[in-house]
This record gives sequence, C-alpha cells and structure tokens, in this order.
Amino acid sequence: MPDQSRPARIDFHQGTVRLFGMSDEFVQRVLTDLELVWDPREACFRCDAMFAGAIRQRLNDSLAGTLEWQVGRDAGQTQTSLTINDHRRIKLRRDQIDAVEAFEQGGGNGLLVMPTGTGKTVVAIELMIRNRCSTLIVVPVRDLMYQWHSKILEATGIDAGLIGDGVHRVSPISVTTYDSAAIHMPRIGDRFQMIIFDEVHHLAGPWRSDAARMSIADRRLGLTATLPSDDQRLAVLQQLVGPTLYRQSISEASGKSLADYSVQRIAVQLSEQERQRYRELSQQIQKFVFDQKEIDPRFKWDDTYKLSGMVREDSQRATDATRAMRAFQAKRRVEEQAESKLRILEDLFRLHTGQSVIVFTGSNVMARKISTRFLVPCLLSHCGKRERQEWLQGFAEGRYPVLVANRVLDEGVDLPEVKTAIVLGGLSSQRQAIQRLGRVLRKGSGGQRATLYEVVVDDTNEVQRSRDRRRNAAYQIKR
Amino acid sequence: MIRSEHSIVEYDFRSGTVIADRLLRGRDSCYIDVARRLLQVYGHSLGEIRQTVHARAEACFSGLPGCPPRRVAAFCKLLDDQATYDSDPKAAVALRRRVFELAAPLHPIVQTPEGIFDNELHAARTRIAAQIGIPWAQIESTLFNDVIELQPLTAFESELTPPSLLSLYNVAQTQAALYRATSVCIDATSDFKTILKHAKLAGLMHRITRLKRPADGFRFELDGAQSSLRETSRYGVRFAALLPKLLACEGWRMKAQIIGPNRRMMRMELSPSDGLHSVLDPPDAFDSGLEHDVDAAWKSAPVDGWKWGHEAELLYQGQTVMTPDFSLRNDTRNILVYVEVVGFWTPEYLAEKCLRLKQFTQQSTASSDHQMQTKWLLIIPKKLPTSGQTQLADLGIPIIRFDKKSRGADWIQAVL
Repeated sequence: MPDQSRPARIDFHQGTVRLFGMSDEFVQRVLTDLELVWDPREACFRCDAMFAGAIRQRLNDSLAGTLEWQVGRDAGQTQTSLTINDHRRIKLRRDQIDAVEAFEQGGGNGLLVMPTGTGKTVVAIELMIRNRCSTLIVVPVRDLMYQWHSKILEATGIDAGLIGDGVHRVSPISVTTYDSAAIHMPRIGDRFQMIIFDEVHHLAGPWRSDAARMSIADRRLGLTATLPSDDQRLAVLQQLVGPTLYRQSISEASGKSLADYSVQRIAVQLSEQERQRYRELSQQIQKFVFDQKEIDPRFKWDDTYKLSGMVREDSQRATDATRAMRAFQAKRRVEEQAESKLRILEDLFRLHTGQSVIVFTGSNVMARKISTRFLVPCLLSHCGKRERQEWLQGFAEGRYPVLVANRVLDEGVDLPEVKTAIVLGGLSSQRQAIQRLGRVLRKGSGGQRATLYEVVVDDTNEVQRSRDRRRNAAYQIKR
Repeated sequence: MIRSEHSIVEYDFRSGTVIADRLLRGRDSCYIDVARRLLQVYGHSLGEIRQTVHARAEACFSGLPGCPPRRVAAFCKLLDDQATYDSDPKAAVALRRRVFELAAPLHPIVQTPEGIFDNELHAARTRIAAQIGIPWAQIESTLFNDVIELQPLTAFESELTPPSLLSLYNVAQTQAALYRATSVCIDATSDFKTILKHAKLAGLMHRITRLKRPADGFRFELDGAQSSLRETSRYGVRFAALLPKLLACEGWRMKAQIIGPNRRMMRMELSPSDGLHSVLDPPDAFDSGLEHDVDAAWKSAPVDGWKWGHEAELLYQGQTVMTPDFSLRNDTRNILVYVEVVGFWTPEYLAEKCLRLKQFTQQSTASSDHQMQTKWLLIIPKKLPTSGQTQLADLGIPIIRFDKKSRGADWIQAVL
C-alpha cells in the first residue's frame, strides 16, 4: 500500500522520475525490479526516467484513481495523438516493411540493423507516421540533424524542432544530436513518447547513455548498420533501447538496394625528403622504446602517454615520452599528408572527369590542403549549417564535381548518385570503413558499378591500417 | 575554464587522493619567467593567426624539464580567453563560394597538363583571382580564416601579471580536476548563504548537516538529481563553476569524490590554506543598506545575554533553504530568534518573501538547532507602502518598523 500520510504522486525531475507518498513495502512488492532507490534528499523514491512507462503500467493496476501522475507534458493521458500527414510518394520495399513489422511485433522497443543505403530513415519515418506521437530523433552530427529535418518536412510537411548547433526549438517532433540530447534531456526528457536513435552505436558511455536514460519515451527505436562487436556495449544498447529485432547483412543488401562496387588499392611512395623525415622520426621512437625497455622490460608503447604525465616523479622520462609522442604524431602527419597523394588525386580526378567524386581524408588539415590545391569545397566540422547544405546540395546537383570531407561525413549523411570515392589515410576502424563504403554504395538511378579507391603510402603504417580495414566483410564481398 | 583535455592530475593510489597540477612560487619559480614571456607573446602577436601565436607560446616553454603538452595547451586556452581573434565566417564562406563556383568548370585543375582540356594550376588561380579582383596570395590566406586555428589575433588587453596568470592556471587546473567529480562536500563555518546560493545557481542538490566541531557550522553535500542512482560525473562542470565562488569565501573545507582510473573513487581536498586565489571579490557583507543599518544599530547597543549573528543560521525543507538575515541567540534562556529584514518592496519580491516565510514559520522545519525555542522577528523600514504592511501583517510575526533610533532592546521585547 502507499504511504497513507501523503497522496501517491509521480513526477519528472531532471531526467529522473520521483515517486512520493509510497511506502517501502509497497515499492518492494509492486515495483520490485525497476531499480528504484530511496532518495533522502527529497524523501522520495527515484529512478531513471526511462522506467516511467513501466511504473505507470504497474501503478495503474494498483492505484487506479488515487495516483497523481505528473510525468510528461501530457500528464494524465496515456498517449497524445498527433496529426501527422503522409506526403510520401515512395512505396516501402519488402525488406523495409519487414523491418517496420519486426519493430511493431517486438513491442515497440528495439534495434534494427540495416546496411547504409538501405533506407533506415524511410523505415523510421514510416514508424513515426504509424505511431502518431511526440517523437525525438537523436543523430550523431549536425549535418544529419538538418538532413532528418528536411526528410520529415518532405514526408509529412512538419517543420520539426531542432535542438543543437546553437538552435533550441523544441516541438512535438524534434531532431537533436547525441551530445545535445545528453545536455538537454533533464529538461526535455518528459516531452517525447517515442525516441529514435539514428546510428545507435553512438549511444555508448555514461554521458551519451543519459540521452536514453533520461527520456520517458516508452517506444524506443535504434538504427544502425553495425552493432558493436563488444558484448558489454551491445548489452547496454539492449538495456537502453531494446533487443535486436531485425538484421540485414551487407551481402543481403548488395545488388538489391545497393550498387555493385569494387575496391582498388593504390600504393604511393613518400618523396625522398619525406622518407628521410619519416625515417628520423621512426628512429627517434625506436630509441625511446628501446630505452624504456631497458628501464622496464614490461614497457609497451601504450604506456607512453602515462609516462608523459610523470612530470614530478621523473621529469626526464616525461620529457622523453612527450617527445616520442610528438614524433609519433609527426610521423602520422607525414603519412597522411604525403605529396604523392595529391599527385595521385590529380590522376584520379582526371580519370573521373565528369563524375561526382568524394574524397575522405584523415584530418581537417589534409582536407583543407586538397580543397586549396584543387579548389573544391571541403566539408569540415567548423562549417555552418548553410555552408554544409550548400556544398552538399551543390555536390548532389553536380555543380561541384568533388567534395572533400574529413570524418564529418562518416555516417548517415546522404550523398545520392556518388559512384566514386577516394579514401586518403584515416583510421583502421572497421565501422569507419563500412560507413565510408556506405557513402559510395548508394544505388542511384544508373545502377552502374561504384569504385572505392584507397590510397596508402607504401612502407608505412598506413599499409597495416588498410589491411585491418580489409578484414571487414564490406571490403570482401565484391571486388 | 580550461577544457578537460587540458587537465593534469596526479593520482596517489595509496592515499586515494587526486592532486591537480599546481605551479608553486618556490619549486616552479621558472614559470614566472615563462608567464612573463607568454604575456609578451600575446601582446606582440597582433595580426598573427592562432596557430602561430600558439607555436610562439609553446616556444616559451622550451628548455623546461618535463613540461607536459597539456600544460602548454592550458595556458594557451586561458590566454585565448583574454584575447580577441578576428572571425568573419560570412566573408570567408562568401569567398569560398565564389572561388569554388569559378573553379568548378575548370575541374580538374592540374599541375602537369597532359591533355588539351586540362587546366593548369597557376593559370587557373590567376584567372580566378582576376575574376574576383583580389590577388591570389590574399585569397589563399583568407580562404579558411574562419577556421579556429587560422583566425588572426586582433586584441589582447589583459590585466594579468605573471603571478596572476600562474594563479589563474592553478585555479583552472583544480576546476578541471572537478570535471570528474561525482559529489562535493563542503564544511563551512561562514558564508553559508553565498555557498548555497551559488550551488543553487549551478543547479546542484544538497544535503545539509549541522556541525558542532571543530566550530559551529554546516556541512553541505552537493550533487545532482541522478547522483542517487549512480556515481556520475554529469555534475562535474557545475562543481567546477562553483569553485571560484567558494575560493572567495572564508572558513570552508571541501572534499570532492572524483572518478579516477578504472572508475576507482578518489578524493580531492581543498581549503583556504591551500592558497588558491579567486579572481572574484569576496561576497558582499550585506544584501541591502537597511540590513547594514540594522546590523550597526544592534552593535551600537547590544543587549546582554544575547548573541547577534549575521546569516549564521540555516533553515531547510528538502531542497528549499532559507538563511535568516540575522539571529539572536540566548543560550541561558534557550531562545533563538530569526531576524528577517525586508528591505525591498517590489510586488514579486514581497510575494516570494511572504511565501518563503510562511513555509518556514508555519511548518515543521529542519532547524539549525533543534534544542532551542525558536521565534521570528521581521524588521521593515519605517516608511513603507501600505500594501506591503498588510501582506506581512498576515504572517502573524512581530514586526519592527526600523529607523535610526531603533534599539536592540526593543526588538527583544517585541518577540518575548
């Protein structure tokens, strides 16, 4: 039974739910598995807002009529029905319908795994229209936020709210970034009944997880091309969003919804000057590692960063470690910004004259270098909304033949009709590889074969990173 | 404040403590010279891009044994905060748009033409520069000058001296160590109101406990809504924001719980004896002129047996707190009088004041001292609007209409 001295009242408080006027015995019996804790600061029970739906369901049975439910802007109602018009002209493909149905049959909480380019956004908008409730879409980067905004406008005529990039316009249908969601969820977590996590693998770590924990939404959709390979991280996603309800592999999608593609690796050489510098830096690092192993045979390169912080204990070792780290970074810069990469780019641009080509770089500096050398737009994180849209739109319309991008375009941003991509440098991460391939693989109206060029500097660490990327299925399916 | 990637801390795993990076006058005296040179670099680098300014700043540290890059970056951040860099994104975007539009039909622009349709780099640049009407060198230097590292320094007007720059650095590193804090506990013997006001402004929640030893005071345990569910550093930035205000106070000792490596809980302790200096002034002694006059009136004619205190008591109900402006305490007669001065008369202020007084005078309250018999007294200016008088009279609390002739003995008589 509730605590008779006070009425039972539940409200939303800074991303949590507070339960007032309930006895310990009652909570133990009725809400036993919901991770509620007693909070002496306000004499209430408290839990993450994500449990609001489950609490309500259970209390409706036990306390019907005596409960003051003050959670959500629609406090007192089970669901706000929004009017969402359907302006779409497209018809969902079979695999997309399967994904929608899997989500609905799975109880409205879960993960849909679909390769890039298979229409995850189409599936999400279909679910949004079917559910007709307040919905927050959470995306990794600002470009995607604006892209979702445009797609929602096109599909439904709704001018969705935007939360992020200096804008704070909250509407029943809103789009935000993961970081903005984590920041603002204590204030907006009670405003949405459905939450969609685009590229849901970003929902990791205590900070970003708050974007899910602090929301009362009881319908939760996670979209991704690749689930985390780490079991622990996957378990967290399943706890915060729901189980995997649908999975389509890249091999199933290729040819049907994606273009056929080939991967061509091009090895280039460092100039004599670059090679000399590279060699010197390598020797500097080797000497550092040798010296450290003399001091401590268990030394590993990963310990270098820690050593650099031992300023008070061993200032000489800290100085050496700092120099070694700088040498390592300088070495990466030599690889990444090798002059021969610009020469090979010249050849590839010549080869693909008349076609849209996207170039991925490993750093902003290289992206700007290419942009200045070839006088083509580059999309960097500092670009404002209008500039981003202008480059993307101009590129999509063919007004700009080339678009250079650092990591900002790694995920999700649509680039229709791109059949040629060039990767210069970058990390060895498999996810990055898949997402980059996804940009190339979108099936355009022509249906011709796409090409991904991977330019690496021979006899450097880039070769190994390229090998790491190639272990992924995305590289292995078609050649 | 500096960013978390600039933070330097030392973990002592034996004692479980965290020590933020600190430059001391004796041990690190060479940094005074570095600070002097840094200020000169910023002062003499007007017109240079940020990247160059930072490279020059970095050179000031060369030759210092074991100076970590984070320390250099932290100093640059603190000095950047005092500097003005020119940024005109609209002009840079407009220039890029123009250049890329003019260059698009020339694609691919090559260094070594091999066919009759190839456009050579130099010729293309010359042509574009002529069409825009700006020399190519100028186009190239301004094409990306909205990018942070390429922005030119336009002003550096700082009142910092070498010692105050080091002091600022020390406080900033201590703040950065707090970014990983899950909770902060402050034992205070004075300035309760200031501490709680700023904790509230920072959006923190509190638990308050009365302290009797080593001196009368209160313990404030600060954290956030989510803290009861898990150890979270979500509120770390708020603790950091509170620190300069705390440093400006007196009589406090702070203990922060901090998430260390492998999520091991560590602690950081701090008190005025650590010698960190706030850039902020100490809190004002009184909120209003009337409060000052009331204090002076009591002190000019105190009453035997009664101890007068300024903001020395705290009342709290859950997360609502009230600090009566003054207190009168008679330990022999076991009486504690809360004295509230109502010095402002805007309708909003009065409504809020009446609501707060009603809450704390009419309901059971966690008082600062449960052993004492408590009473209330309101002191208001002699000349006041009638509407205000009525509102306050409804509270049923004795009211003193204060003027320069008011005496403490009359106040005691009013409440007894």
